[in-house]
Amino acid sequence: MLIYIARRVLAVAPVLFGVTLAVFSMLFLVPGDPVKIMLAEFVTTPEQIARMRAQLHLDEPVLQQYGRFVGNALRGDLGTSIRSRRPVTQEIGDNLASTAQLALASMAVAVALGIPLGLIAALVRNSWLDVASMGVALLGVSMPSFWLGLLLIFTFSLHLGWFPATGGGDFLHLVLPAVTLGAIASAIIARLTRSSMLEVLGQDYVRTARAKGLAGWSVVLRHALKNALIPVLTIFGLQFGNLLAGTVIVETVFSRPGLGRLIVGGILAKDFPLVQGTVLFVATVYVLINVIVDVTYAVADPRIRLG
Amino acid sequence: MRLSHMRWVGAVAAVVGLVLAGFPAGAADTPGTLVIGLDQEPPTLDPHASPSAVTYQIIASVTENLLYKGRDGKLQPWLAESWSASKDGRSVTFKLRRDVKFHDGTPFNADAVKFNFDRIVDPKFKPGSSRAQIAGYAGSKVLDEFTVQVSFETPYAPFLTYAAAGTLSLVSPKAVRESGDQVHTRPVGTGPFMMKDYVAKDHATIVKNPAYNRKAPWSERSGPALLETIIWKFIPEAGTRVATLESGETQGIYLVPAQSLPRLESSKDMRVDRMPWPGVPRIWLLNTTKPPLDDVKVRRAINFAVDKEAFLATVYKGTGLKAFAPLTAVMLDEPSLRQAFAFDAAKARDLLGEAGWAPGADGIRTKGGQRLEIILNAIEYGGGADPTAQLIQASLRDVGVDVKIKAQARPPWYEDNYRCATHGPVMFLRATDPDGLYALFHSSLVGQNFNWSCVKNGKLDQLLEQGRRESDPVKRRAVYLQIEKLALDEALTVPLVDELAVWAFRANVQGVKYNFNAYPVLSDATTTRR
Repeated sequence: MLIYIARRVLAVAPVLFGVTLAVFSMLFLVPGDPVKIMLAEFVTTPEQIARMRAQLHLDEPVLQQYGRFVGNALRGDLGTSIRSRRPVTQEIGDNLASTAQLALASMAVAVALGIPLGLIAALVRNSWLDVASMGVALLGVSMPSFWLGLLLIFTFSLHLGWFPATGGGDFLHLVLPAVTLGAIASAIIARLTRSSMLEVLGQDYVRTARAKGLAGWSVVLRHALKNALIPVLTIFGLQFGNLLAGTVIVETVFSRPGLGRLIVGGILAKDFPLVQGTVLFVATVYVLINVIVDVTYAVADPRIRLG
Repeated sequence: MRLSHMRWVGAVAAVVGLVLAGFPAGAADTPGTLVIGLDQEPPTLDPHASPSAVTYQIIASVTENLLYKGRDGKLQPWLAESWSASKDGRSVTFKLRRDVKFHDGTPFNADAVKFNFDRIVDPKFKPGSSRAQIAGYAGSKVLDEFTVQVSFETPYAPFLTYAAAGTLSLVSPKAVRESGDQVHTRPVGTGPFMMKDYVAKDHATIVKNPAYNRKAPWSERSGPALLETIIWKFIPEAGTRVATLESGETQGIYLVPAQSLPRLESSKDMRVDRMPWPGVPRIWLLNTTKPPLDDVKVRRAINFAVDKEAFLATVYKGTGLKAFAPLTAVMLDEPSLRQAFAFDAAKARDLLGEAGWAPGADGIRTKGGQRLEIILNAIEYGGGADPTAQLIQASLRDVGVDVKIKAQARPPWYEDNYRCATHGPVMFLRATDPDGLYALFHSSLVGQNFNWSCVKNGKLDQLLEQGRRESDPVKRRAVYLQIEKLALDEALTVPLVDELAVWAFRANVQGVKYNFNAYPVLSDATTTRR
């Protein structure tokens, strides 16, 4: 087991290397002079431009710049935001809790909606209930999150007045954004649960369990679902990436503080260090979550470790 | 086992129920509190460090200036009781009020004024728009406790206007020294409101300054603000922002999308305020160096051909007025400017004919086998080019000009402007002094911000420099009128739309006033319960 974990962690290194390379080269892939772009809204003197260039070490050879970027990142220094003039790590720290809250709550919504939906669909396969729940799931997969978000605001905030449309903080502020993000993730989980469940329900041990005379719900929940959920587990890791991407839109629609808003704001303000730092951070978190999922997967299903 | 599960579910349901019951549905109006939704979060609230209008929307009633410029455009005393410019135009002496204290209790005096201006030019400080507004600052001299003389290396008349702009508003020296970086979120001023808190990506709160016993220059009465608290919420999504106003979660919003305006205006629960922005309108800077726009006849023809009414009727629906000149009408208005280029497609066709461009087979004019093509530099915002670009395209097609829209991301857009590579961009500039035209037309700024007409005109340079030296308001106006007429005669630009700052409030919000910058000043604002 330990060897397996060590192998997974080691496999992360090249991925992270690729991430730093991609994030670093952002500065050079954007056409034009990055310093002039960053200072575009200011009336600038050539000295100011030169000073900014030196401050960002853009006057050094590229390799040296990259080395400095990675070295600093390893020491936890992601540079300073041009716009707010605060360390990027501090900006991330201020916004992390809100996004984590949203991601976890959406995951909870996704699981709470997706698994029962998939389960019901599998149990009553080919009935109208199956078609209906898979129809809902299809709708969820196809619906853009900003559209769903605005619909929810329109209904639950403007007309019913149950939840506030904007802001962060307490539980009530979390409901609509979490449902928006979670509903979309739940659709994928529902579809996967259904197909995985259908496969398991046909297995011998399920037939055996039924033959022993166990109650229907007991067979489904304790024997079949447990095994059917293993593939669903993998999708959690992948979905988490989608969730992080979704926060960019959902946090903007609901004007909720968080990393997504931070990135959008950084892009609009042409704040390169902020965007680079935040993207690097989010990508690293995503990679780490997937390592954790891989490990959990191995714990849940001993066959994985052999492979 | 089953029972314990049921209990657990029951407990969760109960907790959720309690949590829901614990919060009021929607947001209740708290008396004395006004919640306003803004389209963006300020990069900083430090007036000297910000490049962004949103900063000054929030702090317009928090920090105060030496002078005040009201809606009529006239300068009035504020923290300075009186002022006088030296004969050579290189310095201004301010006599300060003696009864002013900063929110932290420290006195406002000549030392504080000197500290503020010195701070902006300090090489260790990273200034925003403030730095350019005291270009050539030579220093401040404290003549006595309440008299200060501010000097410049060369005559610099725009300083008086900028002394009334939020960018040069004054903060407590003690607070800056002691709180360091906190000025970014908590500027300590002298105004009727004080910063209370700032929650990133969420909101900023300002509260009444109970010690304010003066008469704010926009107000008819002395004494503190009428509201207790104003909360500025940052709501970037326009649809969400309008929804919060309609649900009552906010009682005011800034930047009302054009498609929501008719609905809000027809509602008796809402009120819409439109304030013209000072500065340069939405304008097409014609690159005068790139053929065929090096021919003034072609540039004039384009000015006659662009149908500005179409802009107002489609994209701007109620959020703009027709523009006539390189300065918006609120800056300088004169009948002769308004008559310069009335929409006249026939005249445009004649001018193009005179310039040698004859109608071609496909409707596009040609000259010596060359098609009449114009490349318009436009920013790609993700949903295609700016719709104004398409309106220009349609207007010019009617007179036989083929406009190609070069829609691109911001960075290469700037790069093309610096290199004078296209036939020019559509842009705008906010400025409270007509000296904003210096950035647009002075020959030294080709290849920089913002002489993107790439114009090098000796007469224009001389007038722009004269405008900086001239301190007499009447003579100054005459100089800028001459500049505008010259710019129109040379057809350096196509002025399109004087944009309006559009605010919407619930009808029970009263007493909102605006300064010359089109920022709300709120010490007389009230909310009544309906």
